[in-house]
Amino acid sequence: MNKNEFLLELERSLAKLPDDERADVLRDFEEHFTFGIEEGKSEEEISRSLGTPQQIAKELLASYHIEQVETKVTAKNLLRAIWAVISLGFFNLVIVLGPFIGLVSLLFSGWVVSVSFVVSPLLVLFKGALYPETFAWFELFFSMVLAGLGIFLVQAMYYVTKKGQLGLVKYLKYNVRIVKGGLKHE
Amino acid sequence: MNSQFKKGVLEICVLALLDKEDRYGYELVQKISSHIEISEGSVYPLLRRLTKEGYFTTYLRESTEGPSRKYYQLTQTGREYLYELIEEWDQFTHQVNQIIKEGVGHE
Repeated sequence: MNKNEFLLELERSLAKLPDDERADVLRDFEEHFTFGIEEGKSEEEISRSLGTPQQIAKELLASYHIEQVETKVTAKNLLRAIWAVISLGFFNLVIVLGPFIGLVSLLFSGWVVSVSFVVSPLLVLFKGALYPETFAWFELFFSMVLAGLGIFLVQAMYYVTKKGQLGLVKYLKYNVRIVKGGLKHE
Repeated sequence: MNSQFKKGVLEICVLALLDKEDRYGYELVQKISSHIEISEGSVYPLLRRLTKEGYFTTYLRESTEGPSRKYYQLTQTGREYLYELIEEWDQFTHQVNQIIKEGVGHE
């Protein structure tokens, strides 16, 4: 791959970056080529030791998406960051996706439990309206206790969800720092 | 060497090289790749990330011949971070060496 091919490929792989950042990255690599050529290396040699533009782009995109999710936590930003980190390498599929699925299912079941506690008096009343002969005051009282508990749980879940998101972002950052990607000649 | 291992170490290398003097990207890459076999391109994403995290600032310096160079300068935060990393590294290598000595040592 010569210099132009390398830079074009890198530019193409970085389509998702904002224009100014992409231009900045390309300038860095152009500079790298210039100094390499000054030292008497061929363009092919230089691009070979740089590694593939795709892998470099993956690293940059992973950092970029994590940065995005740090400034604003939305489901979209979070999923993008997770995907970007996963695509750094096959190994990340396991160590990122596993904890992510675990966390999401934990949060999901927590929310289902708390919300159903909160609405349980409604369910009892609804059942009572449909089948009046099965209505029992005991059930209604019990469900109201559950609802009270549910309100606490909802607050707790809100807190846990926030913490979980922060933890996940931290974990993704840690992965970008430590975990394989772009270092081996492939 | 195991590439998983190298990535974490690359960070400490870049920071350490900037402790005494500012350097430009190409120079950093050459310094590191003369010791450790790396995909040279992966140093640039690392430099960007560490700059964004506030460990470096950058400035351009014109040179008499060739293009202007983008220099990286370690910030105070960066220096503190580097010393933290070095301490961790020293402890870690010391412990591993200890284990190697015990396990492989000749009577």
